[in-house]
Amino acid sequence: MALKTKISKDDFINIFKKEDDEVLSYGKIKENALKVLEQKEVPHKKLEEWRHTSLNRILQHKYSPAEFRPLSKEEVNLFSIPGLDAYRLVFVNGFFLPELSDIKSDEKGLIVMPMYEAKRKHKALFDKYFDKSGIQASNFFTALNSAYASNGSFIYLADNFTSNKPIHIIHFSDGQARKTVAQYRNLIVAGKSSNAHIVYTYHSLSLNYTLNNLATEIFVEDNAHLNFNIIQGEGVDAAQFNYTKVIQESNSNFSMHTTTFCGLLVRNDLKVLQNGSNIETDLNGLYMPDREQHFDNSVFVHHAKPNNNSNQLYKGVIDNKASAVFYGRVLVDKDAQKTNANQLNKNILLTKYAKIYSKPQLEIYADDVACSHGSTTGQIDEEALFYMRARGINRRKAETLLLTAFVSDVIEKIQIEAIKFYVQILINNRLKGEKKDAQCLMIDECPACD
Amino acid sequence: MSKKLIKIENLHASIEGKEILKGINLEIKEGEVHAIMGPNGSGKSTLSAVLAGRDIYEITEGKVTFNGKNLLELDPEERSREGIFLAFQYPVEIKGVSIVNFMKAAIEQHREHKGLEPLSPAQFLKLMKEKKELVEIDSKLTNRAVNEGFSGGEKKKNEVFQMAMLEPKLAILDETDSGLDIDALRIVANGVNKLRNEHNGFMVITHYQRLLDYIVPDVVHVLYDGRIVKTGGKELAFELEEKGYDWIKQEVEG
Repeated sequence: MALKTKISKDDFINIFKKEDDEVLSYGKIKENALKVLEQKEVPHKKLEEWRHTSLNRILQHKYSPAEFRPLSKEEVNLFSIPGLDAYRLVFVNGFFLPELSDIKSDEKGLIVMPMYEAKRKHKALFDKYFDKSGIQASNFFTALNSAYASNGSFIYLADNFTSNKPIHIIHFSDGQARKTVAQYRNLIVAGKSSNAHIVYTYHSLSLNYTLNNLATEIFVEDNAHLNFNIIQGEGVDAAQFNYTKVIQESNSNFSMHTTTFCGLLVRNDLKVLQNGSNIETDLNGLYMPDREQHFDNSVFVHHAKPNNNSNQLYKGVIDNKASAVFYGRVLVDKDAQKTNANQLNKNILLTKYAKIYSKPQLEIYADDVACSHGSTTGQIDEEALFYMRARGINRRKAETLLLTAFVSDVIEKIQIEAIKFYVQILINNRLKGEKKDAQCLMIDECPACD
Repeated sequence: MSKKLIKIENLHASIEGKEILKGINLEIKEGEVHAIMGPNGSGKSTLSAVLAGRDIYEITEGKVTFNGKNLLELDPEERSREGIFLAFQYPVEIKGVSIVNFMKAAIEQHREHKGLEPLSPAQFLKLMKEKKELVEIDSKLTNRAVNEGFSGGEKKKNEVFQMAMLEPKLAILDETDSGLDIDALRIVANGVNKLRNEHNGFMVITHYQRLLDYIVPDVVHVLYDGRIVKTGGKELAFELEEKGYDWIKQEVEG
């Protein structure tokens, strides 16, 4: 088909191609991924799921594969999160940096290592879970990822294992004066009755057109508790496609917080399948696009079995000519009686040019459920603003107080105190009017950090 | 001789092309309490909003001098820091912002304006405590979000508390008595009386004489159809209470 872009589908795919022995997938999985890739169109606005997210300004560039660059400990430390003591893996441009990472490799406890290494060292586990969530058939980008991704992070929690520290995966992008692409493929397995907190952060080291295509599979086994956080702060010319597929078994608890501060175009897909009963799913997001940025959160919770709860709270503060999408879908199967599902999306548009497309959606086929959904979009309350100014508080400070209050409930849900604190500082800096082109998540000023 | 606080000269203001204030002249000196009375729709609330800097009104003519400065050129926050305080008729609910954080931000900016160091957290809390006691406001109230879920009385007490915190030179009370029962009215009025001194002034806007039993004015003005049509001592308020506003209307129009 004719795409209104400069680059053809085949040419685009070719940028991501790697030798067979470098790629994570092999055999049937790889074959299938290539088949899906052949069938799927490069997303365009005529596809329902991409109606409000145009890729034109991404696909018009001539990309090449991102290359390795070394990174010093000092450079990484500039992006460290105050007070976060975590096992960490560091990647740059899709490459793993062992000297900056803490590899764990205990099959009876915790495994944290790059995927290509897990594929060799823990082959049985790798084969048991890799690409078993059905992620590859989801869309063009996940198929591309399944076909050619060569690395990413592997996190495995053995049954009954509780991690004493969070696990922090840090991704850096650096186009090195070129326009580059990179892929990451992550696999997280939380064994029965295990418990852990995981954080992924995304940074740019320079201002270049970069494109990251990520796919993450998460298996939350019986009675496991997994808390998953994403903080996105790549440069203003960085695009990211981030697909997360979660499969939850009975009595498990999965909570997630996605905070998107910066990037040219960020598309987050989150699909959760509740594959048992007495499951809790708590999904939260905050997005704050500025300038001409576009952030899209597409969330889908599938209640396939009875007696499960899910909760979604997504909030957006949209500035300047930025735009955002919240597409939330809750599907309750006929058998999923006693489902309790809530979904709420709230937005504040700071200018008359800012845009939000919000579509909360409930699809219910069971008859004994309690479901709610809602969406609101407003501006800063002018009455409140005048009241505060009449007490001597200037407009920017008044706006900051109002917006801080607006986002406070979603921030409160962040479970790791250091992350909560970090996100609050980033929000304050943003609301104070600090604008950064590349290093969005770097904290210059942090009075309480030492 | 006491100093002039505010001088309003021939002030005209309109909203959406409709003229509401049609030439107000008024002068308040330090230590004075002026009551502005008048029937509904006479322009009382417009006058208070214009003085506080509400930008939905267009000033078409006139001059307001406050503290020797041209008040009409200042933003609302600058007016506040210069010493104007408007106690709102309908205080606004600010969801999720605690009174503590709200007052902290206000005090910080007031002090910065005066070239003073910010208060330490301990100093700030001490100030809060003192002022709460002064105006007899329930201690728990200040832990809540600004006006969120407050009763009518609590909202007005909160206004007086903020006034105590900010120590304005000129406080404008816009129908502070509306929606108050007699006990709340007494507490609010007591708070105001405690804040009165020889260096500040009050403009008390009210429809009824009732409030003026508690906050005794030096001067009473009657506002009608956008103009001050009568000025007198506190006995004028009693006359209005007794006779209503019709005789004023007849006097002006007849």
